[in-house]
Amino acid sequence: MNKLLNTSLKRFTIYAGIVLAGSIPVYYLAISGLWQYELDEHHIILTAEAGREDTYIILGAITLLTVFFFALILGGFVWLNRRISTQLWQPFYQTLEQVKAFDLNSNATVEFQSGNIIEFEELNSSINKLLASNIATFRQQKEFTENASHELQTPLSIVQSKLDLLLQDGDLSASQSQIIEQTNYALSRVSRINKNLLLLSKIENNQFMEQQQISVAESITEIMDLLADLLEGRTIKSVINSECIVKGNRMLVEIMLTNLLMNSLRHTKKGVTIFISLTDAKLVIANPGTYPLDSLRLFKRFTAASDQTPGSGLGLSIVKEICRRYGWEVTYNFIDYRHEFAVNFHSSFE
Amino acid sequence: MKVLIIEDEPELAKSMIDYLSGQQYTCELASNYDQALVKISAYQYDCILLDIMLPGGSGMQILDQLKSQNKQDGVIIISAKSSLDDRIKGLELGADDYLSKPFHLSELAARIFSVIRRRKFANANIIVQGELTIDLPAKKVEVGGLVIPLTKKEFELLIYLIGNKNKVISKSALAEHLSGDLADMLDNHDFVYAHIKNLKKKLTEAGSGSYLKTLYGNGYKWEV
Repeated sequence: MNKLLNTSLKRFTIYAGIVLAGSIPVYYLAISGLWQYELDEHHIILTAEAGREDTYIILGAITLLTVFFFALILGGFVWLNRRISTQLWQPFYQTLEQVKAFDLNSNATVEFQSGNIIEFEELNSSINKLLASNIATFRQQKEFTENASHELQTPLSIVQSKLDLLLQDGDLSASQSQIIEQTNYALSRVSRINKNLLLLSKIENNQFMEQQQISVAESITEIMDLLADLLEGRTIKSVINSECIVKGNRMLVEIMLTNLLMNSLRHTKKGVTIFISLTDAKLVIANPGTYPLDSLRLFKRFTAASDQTPGSGLGLSIVKEICRRYGWEVTYNFIDYRHEFAVNFHSSFE
Repeated sequence: MKVLIIEDEPELAKSMIDYLSGQQYTCELASNYDQALVKISAYQYDCILLDIMLPGGSGMQILDQLKSQNKQDGVIIISAKSSLDDRIKGLELGADDYLSKPFHLSELAARIFSVIRRRKFANANIIVQGELTIDLPAKKVEVGGLVIPLTKKEFELLIYLIGNKNKVISKSALAEHLSGDLADMLDNHDFVYAHIKNLKKKLTEAGSGSYLKTLYGNGYKWEV
């Protein structure tokens, strides 16, 4: 692909080259005709050798001049092209940069500079219109998620409280209490999905502004204490070679670590080992597996990687969103029959 | 003991009153901002359950009022928002605890129990239950002068159960209490059973009566 102005430069140059090259025989014919006419006028007769010599001189001079002018034209084209591109096309390139840098997630709108060229103004206003409708749709979608999950909290509380009251009924049979317990279990999953959706929209809305230095090693230890109950026969083998201090919101970092650990834990059967490794800039959490997961869909919302996950389907999307927020990179790899989730904190040091 | 429920959702308020009245609490209800303001100015409560979003005003303003009137009522904020800002702001304004919707009634009762104990018996916060003596600030349980070595979770469980005397508590409620937000990510709640079993064993071995009952294998009850 060529740059816009280079395409025209090339064509102009070829055209100028052809015209100038074509001009050489024309000049030659004209000048040698005139020369012959002058010779005849003054009755000068040249020897064949002298005539040939003149022809060469004329041809040489014309070619030399043509090449000189061609070089002049070429230099002029290049210089003009640069000038035009820096001045005339400036607004276009500016618009291009702004559109390239635009990120729907960042909540920032685009302000185009106004100029005095009609076409560029039209371009800018059309792009503005497009972006505005995109932003509006995106915002509506976020608001909808937030409002919907918000509005669900109260009815969920009512259902929960009624179940708790029902459980107090002295006439309940064993099977009836079992049904209540199963309902409770499902209800707590609904609540979790709801809370996670709220959390996601809060992260997207750039809440959780407060930041501090956090030791990832320390946080992992704290979370493992919390998880101690849930390990149930699984072992955790951790190689922690660094404190790994990162900058971020404590709550978000803890949520991210908990979700990654819980994710490994949930997909691991009893008696299996989970591996954690932490270096200066990288955290890896791995658990054994038999076949690779679909890494494209893994971090998307409500993607069930396998049919036996009782999770909310949002844990990894939340991890992804938190990493995106701080410019960290989260990756999934299937190596040596192990699912490896890695967070690269490196970009946060820059 | 008097509890004021400030909640605009009638069904939820009804459930709370139902559950709490069965225990030693006398409940009053305010379903909007103005009613709440009148009640807190006129009476003294042991605990106030405060919804943040109310018709006619914000629960935060009520907290401000309580503070400016120099009231000593315990306050638990109940909010659908579960936002961190609200939580911090609420606790700064003098609330004792924060509970986000949806919640188990047993969790609510346990929180009320703790708040009232802390407020009323600041330094001598000791519960005597038959032959059991529980020192809340020191987190120590004794039978006849002998300390029962309970883990942190077993102690929490015991207080939770005592805060819900004679009520059936579901396994999910206990799982949520013990593991916070992690409970519902798990395949089963068997770890609750393990803790209950250990607690029961330690209590009986120390010579305490068997107050802790397992019902149908799904719920638990502290019966006195």
